[in-house]
Amino acid sequence: MKLDDIAKELGLEYLTPQMSDTEAVDIAAGYASDLLSDVLANAPRGGVLVTLQVHLNVVAVASHAELSAVIFSAGRTPDDAVIAKAVEEDLHLYRATDDTFETVGRLHALGVKGQRA
Amino acid sequence: METVVYDIQSGDYASAGAASRQVKAHLKRLGADSDAIRRAMIAAYEAEMNVVIHSHGGRLEARFENDRLEVAVVDDGPGIANVELALTEGWTTASPEARALGFGAGLGLPNIRKNADHFTVTSSPDRGTRVEFTVLLRPQPVVPAATRSLALYPDLCTECRRCLAACPTGALRVRSGRPLLLDHLCIDCADCIGVCRPGALALADTAADVSELEGGALALPPAFLAGFGPRTPVTRVVAELTGLGFAELISSHTYEDALQTSVMAAALDHELPWPALAPVCPAALDLVELRFPSLIAHVAPAASPWEALYASHGDATGACVVSCPAQRSALVDLGAKPQWLVEPQLLRDALLPALFHGDRAAPVTTAPLPSGPDPAPLLRVTGVAHVLAVLERIEDGLLGNVPAIELFTCDGGCFGSPLLIEDHHLATTMWSNTKLDGFPGGRTVERAAPLAPRPGIRLDHDMGKAIEKLARLDRVRRALPGRDCAACGAPNCAALAEDVVLERADVDLCPYLPAPKEARA
Repeated sequence: MKLDDIAKELGLEYLTPQMSDTEAVDIAAGYASDLLSDVLANAPRGGVLVTLQVHLNVVAVASHAELSAVIFSAGRTPDDAVIAKAVEEDLHLYRATDDTFETVGRLHALGVKGQRA
Repeated sequence: METVVYDIQSGDYASAGAASRQVKAHLKRLGADSDAIRRAMIAAYEAEMNVVIHSHGGRLEARFENDRLEVAVVDDGPGIANVELALTEGWTTASPEARALGFGAGLGLPNIRKNADHFTVTSSPDRGTRVEFTVLLRPQPVVPAATRSLALYPDLCTECRRCLAACPTGALRVRSGRPLLLDHLCIDCADCIGVCRPGALALADTAADVSELEGGALALPPAFLAGFGPRTPVTRVVAELTGLGFAELISSHTYEDALQTSVMAAALDHELPWPALAPVCPAALDLVELRFPSLIAHVAPAASPWEALYASHGDATGACVVSCPAQRSALVDLGAKPQWLVEPQLLRDALLPALFHGDRAAPVTTAPLPSGPDPAPLLRVTGVAHVLAVLERIEDGLLGNVPAIELFTCDGGCFGSPLLIEDHHLATTMWSNTKLDGFPGGRTVERAAPLAPRPGIRLDHDMGKAIEKLARLDRVRRALPGRDCAACGAPNCAALAEDVVLERADVDLCPYLPAPKEARA
């Protein structure tokens, strides 16, 4: 499923509008965790991460794990440095007003499933 | 070899990850494969974060070698009181600050251990901690793992070592009682499958049941049709196959003929340097890419006959009888589903009852059948040893007076595939005595992806280093007894010497070593 369609379906706010290719990014799998070691070890390459963590290291970990996008759940907002770093790393950032459980549930219903990397 | 050192500040969460990011960039420049990069990143990032979270500061030293990344992450204390406990998943001594950021879940060291090929951690409470790990940056395999058609079932290995002698590129080892494939050397031929009696080396997934394929078309090689012995003519096999319920039979020979004609024409028009090479056997092409990249320009830019067949019939191709792993790989690469690819033995078993039932009791004529098509004017070279010898000659510029050559890694060409039962001389004779009409005509199709040189047998990317290693290899080889007995699990003494120099094996594996210390020099 295209990232753009996911964002529309879930009513996500796009935090990195400097990047433009959201129609082209295909998301097949996802992961949800707030433990960064867990994300690093288990998140599926090219997938989407749902997390509460909004600090700079999330971008580093997501980039190392070669994720395509991160959704910050429960309305959590990263600061500008995080957004700038994400753009630099080619990582799409979104904010969801729903909590992690609800966000993941809706992603799953759209066909974005878990898939151990 | 190159060593790079990065400093890591204690408690600096904002720039944490910088060292491992630079290691990653370096690995990408070196062209390491993506799985190795991912594993190296996980290990490096975790080790780096440990310094940020737990230590007074330290550094990450990365050594980039030809085939491996060696990392040492050293800090200035305070050290780990109980290393064993620290290696337990979930155990942590991280500060609340680190935990709030999602670190300190007790997964760091276990994550490094899981992703590295070698891993050690030493620590003492006053001197600090040293984490060392190695990630092997294996070269890209000749055939991508996703399409490679040699399947390994290590538990079935009886350590007979027949495969070691059979493998033409020295890609196999038997280590710790199991076959080990150096996949950057495997050309997907069938030689090891042919000699592996217990079935530890076999053709990867193919169709499970012939009856599920009936009703559609069936594509098959002439070697299969002509492989039922001198008393079963091809026409009979064709009739029985139709009786099994296949809607249409497609024989690959029409595509082979088309390729021969087109390559010969291109050679005579001097569109290709002489001798032009017909891309008929995919394993032979792999061999050209791997060992004779300078000859790539000689290969006609056409797809192989099976690729052309599959491209021409598209979804209507139906089931395909594949006579070797290389053909299977080529078809899977084009999108064919493994369950539509048929191992010859499976279809043979399905046909035998019909072929030997009833009227089979009456002797079938053994008189020569009307003669088949004229033999192609291409020089036909079969069997890996002959293929290698001829490629060497071409490289030496000695075959410039030969217009075109077809190379087959199996003895006798596709008729000699180890997956086929009939002797290739008999099957070839049967086929050449056959004249068959009614098969769809073949054509040639342009090659989709150009051939490219494959790295794989260089000792080192750095030429100076490679020369050093070659000298070491020679020393080790001379210290070995030269019996080529394969007891060490390598096919011969030279292969063991290479394994030792590339740190894939220890020289002690040789049971006859007269003076182990010298050999280790």
